[in-house]
Amino acid sequence: MNPEPFLQLDRVIHEKGRLAIMSMLAASPELSFTELRDALAMTDGNLTTHIRTLQETGYLSVTKSFQNNRPLTTCSLTTAGKKAFTSYINLLEQIIQQTRPK
Amino acid sequence: MEPNWAAEHLQVIRTLMERSALYRRALAPIMILAGSIGIVAAAAGYYFSIVQPVSFVIYWFSIGAAAVCGAFLMSRRQAWQQSEPFWSPPTRRVAQAMLPALFAGFALGALVLLSGASAAAREQAPAPNRIVLVCLPLAWVILYGCAIHAAGFFMQRGMRLFGWGMVLGGSGGFLALGTQTGPGLVVAGFGIMGFFFGALHLAYGIYLYFTEQRRNDA
Repeated sequence: MNPEPFLQLDRVIHEKGRLAIMSMLAASPELSFTELRDALAMTDGNLTTHIRTLQETGYLSVTKSFQNNRPLTTCSLTTAGKKAFTSYINLLEQIIQQTRPK
Repeated sequence: MEPNWAAEHLQVIRTLMERSALYRRALAPIMILAGSIGIVAAAAGYYFSIVQPVSFVIYWFSIGAAAVCGAFLMSRRQAWQQSEPFWSPPTRRVAQAMLPALFAGFALGALVLLSGASAAAREQAPAPNRIVLVCLPLAWVILYGCAIHAAGFFMQRGMRLFGWGMVLGGSGGFLALGTQTGPGLVVAGFGIMGFFFGALHLAYGIYLYFTEQRRNDA
């Protein structure tokens, strides 16, 4: 088996929690912090840490605003994030092709 | 490393992507409309004494159809205002999730209509009874709660709680009113419909109206 696709997997996305965040955001233009937290059953701290990591990598952008006098944090994938996520999926598909019995 | 690892990973990603497509139409106006229709219909049904089993079921089927049409038009209007397709993937998913329980409720009502038709063929008019005036509405409440709960998976968390409230309320109603007999049956029948499908919806709609913070831009 060619190990190359494994080695190319993006370590930032590959982590379970961050992959879940990326997957959710890949299917929605933007999601609020609360929506992500509820959907993924993560703690505030855990989600904040993952979001910060993704933000620092340039995969995710965070917008802070106010709605009905309450702070609203929304997250969305950046262009780099969408590209990295697509590459990650493509690599997974390559791995599946390789492991599929012939 | 497990050979299926990557495939399982992709499956998890697909599931998460599907789940993130939340249904975010503004529910407050829809709930307020449904609640208002429910309360007015319960009061009118009681006032006009629509208590014969077949009439009772046809009456509430008509009210349900009117409420669904109203909700449909409101959702359609929202989608149009936001330049979105009405039959979007989240809308489709919500409809699919609700359908089994709603169909079961329809089937129960249809059973009453069939037995009414059968009695009419024998020239016997079925009298108002506990099964139709109390048990059927409570079964509708429970099934409706199941439908809302199933759809709530793709909506705000509050909807699932609302669904649970209907299921628990309907079950509690069976314990409290399941053996009801006598003249109280009519009050119980319209009271159940008015309270669960009217007052609760109206209250939840008003709650949503004041608390809905999320934008409808799914």
